[in-house]
Amino acid sequence: MNYTEYLPIFIFIVIAFSMSLGFALLSGFVGPNKPDKEKLSAYECGFEPFEDARVKFDVRFYLVAILFIIFDLEVAFLFPWAISLSLIGLTGYFSMMLFLLILTVGFIYEWKKGALDWE
Amino acid sequence: MNLFFFLFSAIIVLSAIAVISSRNPVHSVLFLILAFVNAAGIFVLAGAEFLAMILLIVYVGAVAVLFLFVVMMLNINLEEIKFQVKKYFFSGLFVGLILLAELFFSFSNLDLIRNKNVMVTNSKNLTNTHQIGSIIYTEYFFVFQLSGCILLVAMIGAIVLTLRKRPGVLRQTVSKQIDRKKEDSIEIIKFKNNNAN
Repeated sequence: MNYTEYLPIFIFIVIAFSMSLGFALLSGFVGPNKPDKEKLSAYECGFEPFEDARVKFDVRFYLVAILFIIFDLEVAFLFPWAISLSLIGLTGYFSMMLFLLILTVGFIYEWKKGALDWE
Repeated sequence: MNLFFFLFSAIIVLSAIAVISSRNPVHSVLFLILAFVNAAGIFVLAGAEFLAMILLIVYVGAVAVLFLFVVMMLNINLEEIKFQVKKYFFSGLFVGLILLAELFFSFSNLDLIRNKNVMVTNSKNLTNTHQIGSIIYTEYFFVFQLSGCILLVAMIGAIVLTLRKRPGVLRQTVSKQIDRKKEDSIEIIKFKNNNAN
């Protein structure tokens, strides 16, 4: 394997990592440091918070995430199909069309069911 | 490349330990994302670029977000989890032992897998993604369609389980708006004005 193509990515990662680390460390060392108990205390309109920030929220967000994953996987299947279309011929083409048809059935179902609408 | 392999695998092992030992479940999910990213790095080192990118797109981009949602939605109480550690210890140990046995089995039979010669001839010096694409849609036609059916089932299942119609929600119906005519909505009433001259 030849990994020279990954050298720019590696340089990018090293620079990004060292810069973010540098900012975090420098602000800790150089910035003024006057610790105060009041700075750490909770502030929510002047009184203590009533509950945890982690509250139960609408299950609809979860549904949107699941539907996103499914179409994400569909696109993941489309990618190797698109670049190897010249190798697989008509069989491969119609194979993918059948796959898309199956998923389009689900897409029409969720559209008609109103799963994509937000009330 | 050995250096990178050790780097990636060390980060994977450390972040996996952090996943199960960190107190905040959100931190656990973030460490899990770190493990996914480094697993993608190992895939790249193994020459499986397509799998690496799919790992990033699907697992980091979508599954990790789903995990974060679940962690947020479960409203986890940390004290309760610590209380339940003993309760789930033996079942967890059992699952872990099964996984370890499977790993051991597959590593002891590596030669069997390698000699199977699944790969089609790589005479044209194709890339990884080309090779996957050249067999998955034709030679593995039924498995491919089966994966489509599984996605369909997952889609319908998620909708059936989570979609609740709320009564009394005001909703815009575009066709109704367009169908509305002037005669339906405006009524002109002529009335006599007695005071007029």
